[in-house]
Amino acid sequence: MSSVQKQHASKKAQPLHPHPGHAKTRCLKIFRRLSAYLDGDLPGNVCQEIRKHVGDCPNCEVFIQSLRVTISLCRKYDTGPLPPAAQARLKLAILRAVGRA
Amino acid sequence: MHLDGKKAKSAEDRSSQDGRQDHDAFNRLYRENVDRLYRFAQRMCGQGEDAQDLVQETFLKAYRGLRGFRGEAQASTWLYAIAARACIRMRRKRKGEPDHELSLEQFIPTSTGELRLQIPAEGLTPEEALETKEVRRALHDAIQALPPKYRLVLVLRDMEGLTAKEVGSIMGLNERAVKSRLHRARLFVRKRLSQDGGRPRETGQALSSPAGRRRL
Repeated sequence: MSSVQKQHASKKAQPLHPHPGHAKTRCLKIFRRLSAYLDGDLPGNVCQEIRKHVGDCPNCEVFIQSLRVTISLCRKYDTGPLPPAAQARLKLAILRAVGRA
Repeated sequence: MHLDGKKAKSAEDRSSQDGRQDHDAFNRLYRENVDRLYRFAQRMCGQGEDAQDLVQETFLKAYRGLRGFRGEAQASTWLYAIAARACIRMRRKRKGEPDHELSLEQFIPTSTGELRLQIPAEGLTPEEALETKEVRRALHDAIQALPPKYRLVLVLRDMEGLTAKEVGSIMGLNERAVKSRLHRARLFVRKRLSQDGGRPRETGQALSSPAGRRRL
């Protein structure tokens, strides 16, 4: 096992340590409120605090970006429409079930 | 007798008129909402027959409940509520899929390899990223892996674009509970997308697997 692998194996299942110089509790506090932050649900002063922390904490910055991309992908993920033949078939089945066809 | 006959005829006319009105209202409801409901059904059940079954069951229940719908809610919200109940019932019945709680702690990254998404989305717009089969499959799998009550919140809020209040009224939850579930659902999907190819991985393998290293 390489030294890098050993290093990571020893960290197994431990929460990620924050960037040096930052209290881990700060990262966790932000982690709990990230959706509210990204949805614009937090007061301005709290958003400012978060932005300040993120500017100094690369781990939080990368994590927030990954969550932001995840949400954008969900919002843009589209599926195909119901083909006209299936639309007609389903409607006929419903009308038959209620005795209107 | 003559009067009774008139009354009966009049009741029959009314019933026939009500029937025609129901039929017209249903036709409009179906025409205006079938694509929306099918999209929702695919997001909840995946592509295939399950999605079509859900559309059929939802509109059948809607037809039967048309007279009870007073238009206080938007028709689409009313249909989502019917579909949501039907979907959870169908999935439980067919797949024995249990709902379970998600804790926030399980989504705290344990290695730097879990911080980034392991799908080709960086530097691309969401639309561009979603043109890739790998991204679509990983996202689809992640959403399908969500426990149903979390998937429902994510689909309604982030994919169908309803407000937290509307989602709450559909699910019988307050806004705070909707937002709490939504956060966990998003973190769940994010975590799956941060794993190699969107598939679950053994804990602690983020940096030791060749794929994980390659994508860092």
